[in-house]
Amino acid sequence: MQALHDMDVSTSQAITTICPFCGVGCGMTLQVQQSGAGTRLSGIAPQLNHPISRGQLCAKGWSTPFAIDAADRIKTPLRRTPGGFQPISWAEALKSIGESIRTILEEDGPQALGVISSARATNEDNYAAQKFARAVLRTNNVDHCARICHSPTVAGLKQTLGSGAMTNSASDIEQTDLIVVFGADPTENHSILGGHILRAREQGTRLIVVDPRKTRLARIADLHLQLRPGSNIALVNALLAEIFANNWQADQFLDARCEGLDALRKSVARTDADAGAEVTGVAPELVRSAAREYSQAKKAMILYGMGVTQYVSGTNNVIALSNLALACGQIGRPGTGVNPLRGQNNVQGACDMGCLPNVYPGYQAVAEEEIRNKFARAWQVSVAEHAGLTSLGMTLATLEDKFRGLILFGEDPVVTDPDQTRERRALDKLDLLVVAELTMTETAKQADFVLPAASFAEKDGTFTNCERRVQRVRKALPPPGEARADWQWLGDIARELGSDALDWESAEEIFDELAALTPIYSGMTYAGLDREHGLQWPCNKEAPQGTAILHSDRFPIGRARLIPVHHVEIDEPADDEFPLVLTTNRLHFHYGCGSMSRKSPLLERETPDGILFINSFDAHNLSLSQHSPVKVSSRRGFIETRAIISDEVPAGLVTMPYHFREAPSNRLTNNAMDPVTKMPELKACAVRVEPLPADAQPRTMDEILADEAREVAGD
Amino acid sequence: MTDYLIDSPITLAKHIGQSRDLWQLKENDSGERGWQLSAPEIFSALRSPDAMESAKQFFFAPRENIFQFDGNQFRESLPAPEPFALVGVSSCDLTAIAYQDHFFRDDPHYQARRQQALLVGYECLSPCAKGFCPSVDAGPGAREGSADLVLHQLQEDQWLLRVLTDTGARALEGLVLEKAGDAAQTQRHNQIEACIEAFPDDSHIHAGIEAINSNSVAQETWDAAGIQCLSCSGCTTLCPTCSCYGTSDHTTGDTMIRERFWDSCLYDGFQREASQNNPAGAAGDRVRRFWYHKFSREFFQASDNPGPADRYGCVGCGRCEVTCPGVIGVHSMMKKITE
Ligand code: SF4
Ligand code: SF4
Ligand code: SF4
Repeated sequence: MQALHDMDVSTSQAITTICPFCGVGCGMTLQVQQSGAGTRLSGIAPQLNHPISRGQLCAKGWSTPFAIDAADRIKTPLRRTPGGFQPISWAEALKSIGESIRTILEEDGPQALGVISSARATNEDNYAAQKFARAVLRTNNVDHCARICHSPTVAGLKQTLGSGAMTNSASDIEQTDLIVVFGADPTENHSILGGHILRAREQGTRLIVVDPRKTRLARIADLHLQLRPGSNIALVNALLAEIFANNWQADQFLDARCEGLDALRKSVARTDADAGAEVTGVAPELVRSAAREYSQAKKAMILYGMGVTQYVSGTNNVIALSNLALACGQIGRPGTGVNPLRGQNNVQGACDMGCLPNVYPGYQAVAEEEIRNKFARAWQVSVAEHAGLTSLGMTLATLEDKFRGLILFGEDPVVTDPDQTRERRALDKLDLLVVAELTMTETAKQADFVLPAASFAEKDGTFTNCERRVQRVRKALPPPGEARADWQWLGDIARELGSDALDWESAEEIFDELAALTPIYSGMTYAGLDREHGLQWPCNKEAPQGTAILHSDRFPIGRARLIPVHHVEIDEPADDEFPLVLTTNRLHFHYGCGSMSRKSPLLERETPDGILFINSFDAHNLSLSQHSPVKVSSRRGFIETRAIISDEVPAGLVTMPYHFREAPSNRLTNNAMDPVTKMPELKACAVRVEPLPADAQPRTMDEILADEAREVAGD
Repeated sequence: MTDYLIDSPITLAKHIGQSRDLWQLKENDSGERGWQLSAPEIFSALRSPDAMESAKQFFFAPRENIFQFDGNQFRESLPAPEPFALVGVSSCDLTAIAYQDHFFRDDPHYQARRQQALLVGYECLSPCAKGFCPSVDAGPGAREGSADLVLHQLQEDQWLLRVLTDTGARALEGLVLEKAGDAAQTQRHNQIEACIEAFPDDSHIHAGIEAINSNSVAQETWDAAGIQCLSCSGCTTLCPTCSCYGTSDHTTGDTMIRERFWDSCLYDGFQREASQNNPAGAAGDRVRRFWYHKFSREFFQASDNPGPADRYGCVGCGRCEVTCPGVIGVHSMMKKITE
């Protein structure tokens, strides 16, 4: 990037598009200039007339020019050889990949192959990925990373409300009387929405924060319910018990729109604020105040995040929140609702597009014959009858020699998945691993073929943000070298396999195809999205302008369901050997696996020197001072880092962000899973912290692995 | 210097467009405004604070390579742009450029671009959305010497064209224009007075400036603002007078390139030393420092040489108010200070 006019500029252009970093989906304008030397990015500005961000971006959004910098991008296909990766032509890459897929298909059939798409890629790419799996490979083995973020949301809200997305919209934050932030850190992870909460708070909106950590919002909240990790259900049940005991529930609403009240009443009657306190550690008065405020507010909205979903009880945690909102009638109106804050920019879209093993685009179930026939007809192929494997299922099947070939893009499971060692082992075992990426990631390093992918700034398409708003992403720059959009190279592989299922000329053509097959998108076109600055689904004949608030008149399942749920202990509580509980968090400046955000020298500089956040009480007991080098171990492994003493965390709890390759927290985290969604319990495991010698330099993970390899070799 | 009457900014643009690239504010298909290379046949009539980005990017590049070292030799990578003109810069942004000119007076990269520029100002006749230029002596009339030429609309088809520098006078050579009389000057004067009158009450800005200069702002106020600063860098990026930069080195093969890029004093890492010591480690202290730089008279730049930089570091454009997700942009912050 250079100043606007350093070269002999022939034309300049400003392309308005969507931030690639998180589910808020802020608008940004990329300034590009054409000269003899090609097209270059010369600047970035926030989009002033964007319906949510209105002229604002967070640090990640502002760092976009660094993230997509061409300098260390992968520019040609690469093939793994004993001597390292070798550049090859697209033709060679496609031929070899095609051969390998054909061999696996012949020997083991479609169930041995699968696709993992990306919550960072566009809807068009995701639609292409699942169509490639279903119509070309003929398998439902397709998934994306929501598994480690919000699959319990989809599973939980689908059961209780009939739809697994944010029920209301970002703008409801300005209309509500009370905001409950539950297990989420929006000022750090969804900063622009977090900013809306700050603004609402200044204008007198009440704020209740439920979080084991003293987050930024907890500091300014009216009430902070600092519960023990993993006690969400106990807390919500205590709130419900108080609400029913005081007759604060919304009788009319319950009567008219819900079912299952008696069972819920009976199940929470066993607890109250005092009994709950023994599990949650939250003072009963606080629980009573929160119960009164939430149930009595005219309009109250719940915003929740991974502090709810990333537990063995994840799905039930979501159901508990839904029970609470339904019991108080805080849903289906402006300023209310149960609102998951989803992490990655297009995780909503990846789900909407059916990059899930059990549903086609628009959550149309694979299990239903009528739906299968609909897609078989539209695609003119026969489709697989049974649901496919989740990403974790693919990993496990690989280890059992039942799965052999994986195509993966825009994800770095080696860094982000819970059990790094197992993940590496599985990827190693695959006969074919194809990874398409912008830059070399840990996962790409394991691949047989690495394909150069186009970044969001280099292609057209759409992202769907957390409030179900489908927004246009516009091509501002040519992809570097031979990089291609994901739908393009997927189409190339399909053609190599003799299929014309992915023969599209443009992203818009894909969008028109998917809108025709996806009822919740059926009223959308690119022209409409341009005109309206995005449209919120469902957008169809009945709602041509889209839908800002779900469930206003009825739930998709008719009556909403109240479902009793019970507290489940975290899978691995602290004990004598591992006396502290570790929880994971994210830092404002970083994102996912960090492969994009860490390319900015400014954001990289914001990385603290150490990443283990520990309370001063525990630090004192361990004789740690600020920045002391430490070793953190769990039953699964250890990492080395430095301690940051912080009263953000209560005694007994330590936290680590998970973006750091040097000290990946997933060496430590537990694999115990939510039985419904197989969501791993990333938010709590038992660890031990030990001081290293004061002058020791903590080793990075790579150094530890190298040392271990040397020791093994030396033995 | 002589001032003239001209029928339209387009007449001027066509003339200077013969020898320079023209940049003007334009709206794209999505309705977003920004500086674009432009044909002389149109005049957009947008004012520069209507665009999120100011004109500072033309001189102080968001990212640029400073030098290259190939193992033996340092090579400076100085830009060499063709002559260009910015047409339609509002007074606040002109004042900011003058302020930056002083700060970067010895910076060859900045100056290489600045020397090639012709600044054509455009005076506002009514207040912009969040602006308060009169309160910080930055507008709505263009300050002496801050532009080469200044346009001021008198009638539908009559504009006052003021010439503020020799460069401006030279740029008009070959253009036959009628000299402006006293009536035109009086009308301009009255219109600017009327514009100043039309600004909404901004006593909170005046009171905030006085509170900062008398050091009477409670630390708690800064600390509370610190909780709300998300270190997004939006304020410093868009502020037309912010000038901090960072550098980083990239090595490929034998060649090392040093890049410099816009930095932000609101980042924790901005002043953190290798020892982890940080003189502005608390977010509230960083917010305070930012506002002292904008409003404390101790930071007037050129006490030995009164001139364009001997002024507040804020020109009243209002961009930080719009872009701050933490609700501590200039109006919000000054209200908090004075509440
Ligand atoms: S809040 Fe999210 S979408 Fe908005 S700028 Fe930040 S990362 Fe991008
Ligand atoms: S401090 Fe704010 S109002 Fe003042 S010049 Fe900078 S951006 Fe404009
Ligand atoms: S714009 Fe606001 S939140 Fe962002 S760095 Fe500036 S003061 Fe902080």
